[in-house]
Amino acid sequence: MKNKYLFVLLLLLAMSLLGYGFVWRYKGQEQQEREGVTIVTSFYPMQIAAMNVVGDCQGVTVECLSEPQTGCLHDYQLTPQDMILLSHADVFLVNGGGIEGFLTEVAKEYPGLVILDAGEDVFSGEAHSDSDDASGEVHHHGENAHAWMSISHYKQQIESICQGLSQADPAHREVYRQNADAYLVKIREVEKLAGEVREQAAGTPVVIFHEAYEYLAEDLGMPVEGLLNLDEERQVSAGETADIIGTIQEHGIRMLLAEELYGKDMGRTVEAETGCRVYNLDTLVRGEVTADAWLIGMRENLRILQEALCAK
Amino acid sequence: MSNGWEWLQFDFMRLAFLAVLLITPLFGLLGTMIVSRKMAFFSDALGHSALTGIAIGVVCGMEDTSLAMVLFAIVFALLLNRISSKNAAATDTIISVFSSCSIAVGLAILSRGGNFSKYSSLLVGDILSISRREVVYLALILGVTLIFWVCCSNWLEALSLHRALARSKHIPVRAMEYIFAVLVALIVTLSIKWVGILIINALLILPAASSRNISQNLREYHFFSLVFAVFSGILGLILSYYTNVAAGPMIVILASLIYFATYLYGKKIA
Repeated sequence: MKNKYLFVLLLLLAMSLLGYGFVWRYKGQEQQEREGVTIVTSFYPMQIAAMNVVGDCQGVTVECLSEPQTGCLHDYQLTPQDMILLSHADVFLVNGGGIEGFLTEVAKEYPGLVILDAGEDVFSGEAHSDSDDASGEVHHHGENAHAWMSISHYKQQIESICQGLSQADPAHREVYRQNADAYLVKIREVEKLAGEVREQAAGTPVVIFHEAYEYLAEDLGMPVEGLLNLDEERQVSAGETADIIGTIQEHGIRMLLAEELYGKDMGRTVEAETGCRVYNLDTLVRGEVTADAWLIGMRENLRILQEALCAK
Repeated sequence: MSNGWEWLQFDFMRLAFLAVLLITPLFGLLGTMIVSRKMAFFSDALGHSALTGIAIGVVCGMEDTSLAMVLFAIVFALLLNRISSKNAAATDTIISVFSSCSIAVGLAILSRGGNFSKYSSLLVGDILSISRREVVYLALILGVTLIFWVCCSNWLEALSLHRALARSKHIPVRAMEYIFAVLVALIVTLSIKWVGILIINALLILPAASSRNISQNLREYHFFSLVFAVFSGILGLILSYYTNVAAGPMIVILASLIYFATYLYGKKIA
């Protein structure tokens, strides 16, 4: 009988030691103390934007809460490690527009943390109603948080980030300004390309399979006749599919913009049913963590649309 | 703090730790009764009913769907108990029918409009969802369960051995079954948000099942179950903090390791 108690004691001790090994390994990695200013961004588009504004600024670190492949943060669940990362942060850079649903929780846990809302100016100025989606609901841009997909909104976000960081960290104000200006010049070049596509599009109507493209379509002057929002949080019913097919047929739509990851299968179905061509665009919400990621991604989107419009 | 206790510096971890200290003894104690009474499938079905409870809360426009979840689980448990005792069909068949029906209703309502992902955190649990109010409820349930356990554990054991014999000894069989079902429903629903629907049952069953592998009497059975539940709960919580893994699955992995170790040991000494 004593052996049994000894066995349990040894078993629990062995498991505790194994667990301690994990903890010790983790603590070894965490020993490097963060120095200077730490900017934690909520997700990929904000990370890319912050990287451009911060540049090589000494003593300022940009970190990201979510992985570069996470995608949009709708219903993102904060983990204990996220809370730890935020506890070291000086500034928490968010996109706003309701995409970071956990902000209240963060603000409550860290009342002293500076939360920089890059989309504050963008979303506060928007309330006008726009296109109808497949379910017949009127869409307001105020509900569409994918502001980085609009070139003009993205410029506004960069400006807000520059001003917000300069306020939170005045010591590097000059560097932030210079970097933001340099980045804005590059964005304007993309904007010029978008202007050419806009002329080519000349009001071609489209159906979109992700609300992020609503902004891009607006930039390019392409009216959105139907929206079926396919993303990581959406399961579509047969009724909705029938509705969108009906919309395409009714308006004689020839172009459908979709995201390859979530819209591929649906795109194939709709293409087969209606003959409407599907063009897969990047929502710029996941990818390589490089400063030029947004510029490259948006240029590629415009190139695909340019080719599509030529073929039309 | 850098002495191994830094995980306690955050409010949410202190709350989670408190919840683990309250809930794991409950899992340990009730688990022994569930395993003895062969009710593992019953508690699993209760966990699944949480989806319907939340769906009802959403339909009724309740801001805090926890209340709807708890109320529905209680009704579900009582109904299941009643039908199981009345019906001639095998209990596992009836539980399966109830469980599947409840999941289907929950999924149908919650996935309406394609928004089920809002509730997907319920499947694996979210440790940050523990609120002070829930910790208070857990403390109350721990108190009630302890009283119930002290007063009625022998009756429940008798009941699990032979129902007719227990009745002949004037044990209030029906009342015992109902009270027990309600307690399990309360504990399951109050822990489900942070443990997760998919694994809540494992937390109830594994410590008791491990204990059964090596125990030779009731006292040992309850003691080891309690020790295993509390140990896997605390160590699982700490490891989940450092490894960035959800707490529920981590606790269940540890409880499973204990199960396999005790299983091998039990076979050796048998």
